[in-house]
Amino acid sequence: MNDAPDTLIGAAAALASGAVSSVELTRDCLTRAARLNQALNCFLRLDTDAALAAAAMADAARAAGRALGPLHGVPLALKDMFYDPTHETSSGSAIRAGFRADTVATVVTRLQAAGAINLGALNMTEFALGPTGHNAVYGACRNPWNTAYIAGGSSSGAAVAVAARLAYGTLGSDTGGSIRGPASANGVLGMKPTYGRVSRAGAMPLSWSCDHIGPLARTAADLARLLGVIAGPDPADSSASRRAVPDYEAGLDAGVAGLRIGVPRNFYFEAVDSGLQRRLDDALAVLASAGARLVAVDVADPSELTELSRAIVYPEAAAAHAHWLRTRPQDYSPQVHARISSGIAIPAPLYLEALQLRPRLLARFVDSVYAHCDVLATPTLAQPVPTLAATDVGGGETMWALIAALVRCVAPFNYLGVPALSVPVGPDAHGLPVGLQLVGRPFSEALLLRVAASYQRHSDWHAHRPPLAAV
Amino acid sequence: MSDAIAVRPLATATVDELARLVGLPPLDAATLARIAEGAGRAAAAVRASTAGSLFDVEPATFLTELERLAEPAA
Repeated sequence: MNDAPDTLIGAAAALASGAVSSVELTRDCLTRAARLNQALNCFLRLDTDAALAAAAMADAARAAGRALGPLHGVPLALKDMFYDPTHETSSGSAIRAGFRADTVATVVTRLQAAGAINLGALNMTEFALGPTGHNAVYGACRNPWNTAYIAGGSSSGAAVAVAARLAYGTLGSDTGGSIRGPASANGVLGMKPTYGRVSRAGAMPLSWSCDHIGPLARTAADLARLLGVIAGPDPADSSASRRAVPDYEAGLDAGVAGLRIGVPRNFYFEAVDSGLQRRLDDALAVLASAGARLVAVDVADPSELTELSRAIVYPEAAAAHAHWLRTRPQDYSPQVHARISSGIAIPAPLYLEALQLRPRLLARFVDSVYAHCDVLATPTLAQPVPTLAATDVGGGETMWALIAALVRCVAPFNYLGVPALSVPVGPDAHGLPVGLQLVGRPFSEALLLRVAASYQRHSDWHAHRPPLAAV
Repeated sequence: MSDAIAVRPLATATVDELARLVGLPPLDAATLARIAEGAGRAAAAVRASTAGSLFDVEPATFLTELERLAEPAA
């Protein structure tokens, strides 16, 4: 289809008006995915027959006057870590190859209830642990802006599929930046909601305390639609908040006049490449010209927060993986094996102290930062998107340094649990995307979406297609 | 991590002993070194961040604290 809608909201409207059918849109996505996947390796599996059958049922329901929900007939795809007994879930690993769960992830149920069509399973870093998108089992996912560059991880396929117009939206997970990093690297939006905003029931666990599930899409409005569907209380997940879910689409046009955008004086912009800095400054200028007030703020040293999150993530991952670490260590890639195994060397009292510190440091962060601004703005990645070759370090000596550089600006907010989204703000010197990260108070997703929507109204970068997607 | 935080290197022999205690098969020298480095930095950050007693702090209050700190109208 040459005239397929470019956004999820546009697709949903076209479906509702009868301008296009779900079968047409689904077939279009599947055809493009089949054509481009050899170059991008973003899909691990295309569920062609099941997706077309579901699309036909969605069209029949609409013809019979039954509206299924806000995603009625819209083709989406999911990172291969959300359980569904109707298909296998590999978690990007050799160990879980062929695994078929006996439960359905709550987010899968909610997407289905809203009428979404699932195109298939998306590539990801092995067990969602790695910021580059390399995968020793299924092959690296590639960036559609230039396939020599990384897609980012761990939600590599989720970002690439959206950027390359192979799906209207996707779901990923974020334990240390795994939604926002790939979103930035591929020029799409990605949100890590507040801890507890979206149920993790039926999703592969990496770290019970730091895992977040969230959407990726091409516009803030698309992201708002997806978040509205998946957010909310869930009896199956005791860590899900009972707080009511607002209408995330309602306030998107409210603009940013009078809003205070905090720009950190320390840490976040200190290691930023000069080319990225220009793009980020331009993006902040767009928000300022739309009426926002830019204010300089000081933040407590976030690198400690990143290390504190590791003191939680690795022991929890080591516990979840204990059986396989004992019985199948050879089936992990060296980097993932070393990172998960690090949990055995963090004493239990330190792990628990890191958890105990969390409410206190959260309160300190919120009180100190949001006394001066409404939204904090930082780079998503502090460096230009690197090449696959430069980041193919496996479990080698430079492993920790590489990871630290890539998660520098994103991982602190997994420890704090506050919401953060990455919005694309333009290309770097090599034509690879740059992302601006917006961070808010707990449960301020609507405000972050409003700022991102305002930026997109006053800029056109989100409408640019990567060269491969233009094919 | 801030340069002010002293990272006390963990001996690879200690990691090796811990791995045996947990029941893992023998780890190679490179993996032991990576684990020692990563765990050492995380442990140092916890020590550096803990000023004063956490005696009365219950970790499970994290979600409650997130909800308390949200904007009332959010």
